[in-house]
Amino acid sequence: MATAPYNYSYIFKYIIIGDMGVGKSCLLHQFTEKKFMADCPHTIGVEFGTRIIEVSGQKIKLQIWDTAGQERFRAVTRSYYRGAAGALMVYDITRRSTYNHLSSWLTDARNLTNPNTVIILIGNKADLDAQRDVTYEEAKQFAEENGLLFLEASAKTGENVEDAFLEAAKKIYQNIQDGSLDLNAAESGVQHKPSAPQGGRLTSEPQPQREGCGC
Amino acid sequence: MAEGSGEVVALPASGAANGLSNGAGGTSAQPNNPLSRKLHKILETRLDNDKEMLEALKALSTFFVENSLRTRRNLRGDIERRSLAINEEFVSIFKEVKEELESINEDVQAMSSCCQDMTSRLQAAKEQTQDLIVKTTKLQTESQRLEIRAQVADAFLAKFQLTNEEMSLLRGTREGPVTEDFFKALGRVKQIHNDVKVLLRTNQQTAGLEIMEQMALLQETAYERLYRWAQSECRTLTQESCDVSPVLTQAMEALQDRPVLYKYTLDEFGTARRSTVVRGFIDALTRGGPGGTPRPIEMHSHDPLRYVGDMLAWLHQATASEKEHLEAFLKRVTAPGVEENIQEVVGHITEGVCRPLKVRIEQVILAEPGAVLLYKISNLLKFYHHTISGIVGNSATTLLTTIEEMHLLSKKIFFNSLSLHASKLMDKVELPPPDLGPSSALNQTLTLLREVLASHDSSVVPLDARQADFVQVLSCVLDPLLQMCTVSASNLGTADMATFMVNSLYMMKTTLALFEFTDRRLEMLQFQIEAHLDTLINEQASYVLTRVGLSYIYNTVQQHKPEQGCLANLPNLDSVALKAAMVQFDRYLSAPDNLLMPQLNFLLSATVKEQIVKQSTELVCRAYAEVYAAVMNPTNEYKDPEGILHRSPQQVQALLS
Ligand SMILES: Nc1nc2c(ncn2[C@@H]2O[C@H](COP(=O)(O)OP(=O)(O)O)[C@@H](O)[C@H]2O)c(=O)[nH]1
Ligand SMILES: [Mg+2]
Repeated sequence: MATAPYNYSYIFKYIIIGDMGVGKSCLLHQFTEKKFMADCPHTIGVEFGTRIIEVSGQKIKLQIWDTAGQERFRAVTRSYYRGAAGALMVYDITRRSTYNHLSSWLTDARNLTNPNTVIILIGNKADLDAQRDVTYEEAKQFAEENGLLFLEASAKTGENVEDAFLEAAKKIYQNIQDGSLDLNAAESGVQHKPSAPQGGRLTSEPQPQREGCGC
Repeated sequence: MAEGSGEVVALPASGAANGLSNGAGGTSAQPNNPLSRKLHKILETRLDNDKEMLEALKALSTFFVENSLRTRRNLRGDIERRSLAINEEFVSIFKEVKEELESINEDVQAMSSCCQDMTSRLQAAKEQTQDLIVKTTKLQTESQRLEIRAQVADAFLAKFQLTNEEMSLLRGTREGPVTEDFFKALGRVKQIHNDVKVLLRTNQQTAGLEIMEQMALLQETAYERLYRWAQSECRTLTQESCDVSPVLTQAMEALQDRPVLYKYTLDEFGTARRSTVVRGFIDALTRGGPGGTPRPIEMHSHDPLRYVGDMLAWLHQATASEKEHLEAFLKRVTAPGVEENIQEVVGHITEGVCRPLKVRIEQVILAEPGAVLLYKISNLLKFYHHTISGIVGNSATTLLTTIEEMHLLSKKIFFNSLSLHASKLMDKVELPPPDLGPSSALNQTLTLLREVLASHDSSVVPLDARQADFVQVLSCVLDPLLQMCTVSASNLGTADMATFMVNSLYMMKTTLALFEFTDRRLEMLQFQIEAHLDTLINEQASYVLTRVGLSYIYNTVQQHKPEQGCLANLPNLDSVALKAAMVQFDRYLSAPDNLLMPQLNFLLSATVKEQIVKQSTELVCRAYAEVYAAVMNPTNEYKDPEGILHRSPQQVQALLS
């Protein structure tokens, strides 16, 4: 039955960042729709998509916020870093400038997310190897120096796209398991859903209404 | 044995009889000699073939053992005695048999009477049971009929009634959980309620109606119970993550048949989520993330744009999540209008945050953080209005209304601030600076305008919505600026005034040229610049003519009429005066730059200055050409005109270009 997709134990919030045109929206689309959208319209501000994945037998819903890379949108997009459990930082392996800007994106990510946010570096457009402008080794080293996960992927062929989102999720899940990510704290970017027994109880106390407080 | 022996004995007897009769017969056949016949006959007798004779002889031989006279004499007697004995034996034996038979007869007789008796008794019994049998048969058929009826009734019950378990599932106890089975039972009730309509068309209407009523009642009870359960389930959904169980989605599917209960449950869900979102918002504002990262949004209240942006982004994300929760909640509902339901409830859920949001944004706006920030905030609000309405649709949700209100407020305060700035410009109009450049007020205002337009350019507001703002911003700033410049230039001389105006307009134009939607304004500014340019060109030309002493001569030539007589006779137009002017003019020709009005050096634009120089030079050339033509004209009676004006207009033109 169609109930399955809603039986998930966690929600992880992701954000995708990087220069305009590196393929952020295409990566999201490939991941959620399993299709390559060649003429993807420019992202205005932010957009989002969701998909349910499985990590260590746990169903996890990813809520992914895709941001516009243009400088003029930064005032808007930087507000979406807060509360992200994972950040996908994307550059285009055929455009060196997008790689050179990574440190500025990383600074933003570090300043605006929480310390446990898992950041994965993604070199996109791996299908265009002939036009490569950034070597794998170089980016790998950058990732290691900054403690980032790293993958080269292609939103066009779908290569490693699944893994990119999964690797980050595994790392987040691991952080939860070893206790370094506190689920009770607000805006950890992770929401836990204790799997309730089928058909709840009528006896449970109604929650106190806390509307309109603190204002 | 008795018979056997009887036979054995009997045979010789008959044989003997035969022999005797044969002997008698032979006598008649051979009357001639009876003895011979007898002998003959004996001789003819074939003893071998006469078995009887053989047997008789054999029997005889058993007791006729001694062939003597006496025995021969006694033979007949013996035989007769033997026969008698045998017969006597027979008699005694048959007597026995007779007695036996008689006893058998007696027995049979007894049996017969016994049977007779039984038959009559049976007859009696039969007569007596006849009735019972009839009754039994009747009962049997009855029982068969009832059996069939029972089967029918069972089938009927199975079809039109619930089992006890089903019944108790539906009625349930207050605390019992709702499970899959509940929905199966509910489905049965619905099915029965539907099927029972068939009965109404038969002669079972009463039953049909009763069952219908019963099922209707049961359905109500069940829906009531389901509603209570769903309601209290919803009340527990107050975590940031909203765990909508499959059973709850099933409950909503079932409840859609009872619009009122369905709506109440939706309301309950909305209320629970609403307070959750409010709590989450307040937490994000005041508590921030784990260990304080991300920092609470309120920590950024000193940075109005970030503060407002963070709040709105949080709400955008919350709205998107809440819509997802609702979609999960209602995913099995098939009734039309689900989309509207979702939008409506999302509207309700996000209503709670409106007040805290409004209070905070109002605070920011009313603190008047300056026109540029106000404008940025206004654009941000507009962007989020657009983005969030993409999620909740265009239904008039309170959140959208609040954002729109804040947008209008920020815009109003922004324009107020711009207008205030503009009216201050007019309050204290400065004299133009000595270099006739843009005044500091102009510079300041243009900087402000540039920032506003730049932030507008970089805003995330869709293109069409941006144009309208632009027109308003431009007229709000530019018109008072132009007025200010005009007023401030009003006490100056013509050249100063024109220079100052050209400079000011030029500044405005270069500022605007960087932005979109400014074409009309740019065109207007260009026209104004050109008007002042004309002034400057004329001023420069007459400046030159005056300085070289041609001004009076040129004016006189232009106004000269034949009745005044020839030019050479007019005062100050004699050849001496002309020659003196020509010396000056020559000096000018050798160094035309020495005769530029000082104001031209204050022009900010080199091209503008060039244009003025070029066009004023043309005017000077034309004036010289006119004077030259008049002097060369014989009717004006100059002697040796080539000696007076020794340069042809072509030469002048060549020298000046
Ligand atoms: N060859 C190739 N082109 C890609 C790939 N991913 C994206 N593109 C193209 O890159 C352009 C920008 O993609 P988009 O997703 O809009 O980039 P964004 O601005 O980062 O969201 C589009 O024209 C895509 O067709 C990829 O993996 N391979
Ligand atoms: Mg994009």
